[in-house]
Amino acid sequence: MSLRALPIVSLCFLLLGIAYLVDNSKLPMGSAAKPGAGLFPLLVGFALSGLSLALFIWAGRNQDTAAKGQEPFPVGKDGQRVLALGVVLALFVLLLKPLGYGICGTALLAAVLRLLGLRSWRRIILISLVAAATSFFLFDTLLGVPLPRGVFFS
Amino acid sequence: MDSLQGLAYGFGVALTGANLLACLLGVLVGTVVGVLPGIGPIGAMALLIPSTFSLGPTTALIMLAGIYYGSMYGGSTTSILVNVPGEAASVVTAIDGYQMARKGRAGAALAVSAVGSFVAGTLGIVALMLFAPPLAELALEFGPPEYFALTLVGLFFLSGLGGGSRLKSFLMVAFGLLLGTVGMEPISGLPRFTLGQLSLAQGVELVPVAMGLYGIGEVLIIAEKITGIPELIKVKFRELFPTVAEWKRAFPPMLRGGGVGFLIGLIPGPAAILSTFASYALEKRVSRHPQEFGKGAIEGVAGPEAANNSATAGAMVPLLALGIPFAPATAMLIGALIIHGVQPGPLLMTQQPEIFWGVVASMYIGNLVLLILNLPLVGAFASILRLPQHLLMGLILLLCLVGTYSVNNSLLDLYILIGMGGVGYFLRKLKFDMAPLILALVLGPMMEKTLLQSLFMARGDVWSILSRPIPAVLYSIAIAVMVLPLLYRWVKKRSEALRP
Repeated sequence: MSLRALPIVSLCFLLLGIAYLVDNSKLPMGSAAKPGAGLFPLLVGFALSGLSLALFIWAGRNQDTAAKGQEPFPVGKDGQRVLALGVVLALFVLLLKPLGYGICGTALLAAVLRLLGLRSWRRIILISLVAAATSFFLFDTLLGVPLPRGVFFS
Repeated sequence: MDSLQGLAYGFGVALTGANLLACLLGVLVGTVVGVLPGIGPIGAMALLIPSTFSLGPTTALIMLAGIYYGSMYGGSTTSILVNVPGEAASVVTAIDGYQMARKGRAGAALAVSAVGSFVAGTLGIVALMLFAPPLAELALEFGPPEYFALTLVGLFFLSGLGGGSRLKSFLMVAFGLLLGTVGMEPISGLPRFTLGQLSLAQGVELVPVAMGLYGIGEVLIIAEKITGIPELIKVKFRELFPTVAEWKRAFPPMLRGGGVGFLIGLIPGPAAILSTFASYALEKRVSRHPQEFGKGAIEGVAGPEAANNSATAGAMVPLLALGIPFAPATAMLIGALIIHGVQPGPLLMTQQPEIFWGVVASMYIGNLVLLILNLPLVGAFASILRLPQHLLMGLILLLCLVGTYSVNNSLLDLYILIGMGGVGYFLRKLKFDMAPLILALVLGPMMEKTLLQSLFMARGDVWSILSRPIPAVLYSIAIAVMVLPLLYRWVKKRSEALRP
């Protein structure tokens, strides 16, 4: 993965640049004297596509130099931990509206604490409940930000 | 209003209860995030922008600026005591600071670092006060072509000076500009690239992007390794006094560092970080004891620590005089001003003097508070590192999520936050610099607006835009910076090839 990561990332940027240019083609370009909404994005799209293509070619030709200029991606348990954190964050966002901040915030913190090495479930539950309740009080009650209550508490 | 009148007015603003409290809170948070390796000033500023909504723009800016320069003080503490720089701008301090600590001179290193930061920080603010008003006056003559040239050349320099691969940095600029074009076109208001989402018409906000890249991305990298609590070198209060000989050796580097830092702060780029490297190299060159560098030379602590603080004051000059941020941290300040409905630019100083002079005066107060806080409380700040990693990272994640949501009460912002967190993680692993992305996102809409206005003004005559004096000088400098190293390399290669 590490060796191929840079070409893959540059390819992703290239695809993004092309998709962006295609979408931009629907916008009016105007003329030099009366530029339209599509002119600046056109320049940006070409810059992004050109630079990512250049990086893709460079990374392909200079694999050793490219590999030296990056950190290795974690494997085994370390890699699984990072992935699990990503999944937990995504689940938080997906379930925030239906389940509400109280449940999601507590569950997120509990999962993060467990994933990052806290073993005692009693402490995990206590810390998560206190932190979620405090942040709810701080943002919802004090700062007036209406945090989602979810179906159980609405 | 002249400088002294302005400063007196600024102290009147900064010494009101709310502003004083904001300044204290800002420098305190800044010191804490400077100490903690997990979160830097940019993440912390992004985190706290939502909490400033109920405050006025002056109070908000005073607090956020406090985080920026306060973090420069905090970063040195862990560099010296644990050899773990809390901030990128304190990496250089760790070289000689930690060696001093191992020789039993941790107290002297901490004191010199705090006093150096104070001296240079204060000198930097004096220079900011003297430089910014005439620059703003000059900038009143600037039209769209000048602003377009400034932002374009600024981004070019930032990408070239950041270190690492230029190609990667330019790619980040293009990606940041792309994100900046999402939403309504700045002149006609036509919605673009919204993917059918109504909330995207407002554009991609700075807070979720910055928090994703600097907050979530950093936490994911830290989560790769579960680490224990680092061992701290204990310092007693009575040990915090350097000897007369140490003071004598440290004072000139503080002044030189202050000068170097301020000048580098004016240039687009990661000024605070670059200034520490430049100051260290300068001190090593002019020192009578160059052999001591790397083994605990006090000049290697005093110079860079002075430089990074002065650089933060230098970086405030283009921000407050022109309304153009040249560093990611000042981009956050501009973002905060815009959220508060303030139009940054050269008119800020005359139309809203309470913001400019209030912030300048608060920086004097903040620097003094930091000196008082950092010397006796150094042990207390360092002990923050004893907080378990899981608790710290969990709280940072929760605050990132709820802080981002609170900006617009928008789930879309949370999706952007998570997405940018993942992007930030991958890009950081591949050694992409995040600063050009953040700056391009902030400067992009301004660049587009000024480009279109310039073309309208010149009726499409590109040459008449390029040949105006200020843009012509700026573009020439950029071309020279780009071409000269290539030319030098080509000549060198040729002469080596021709050598028998």
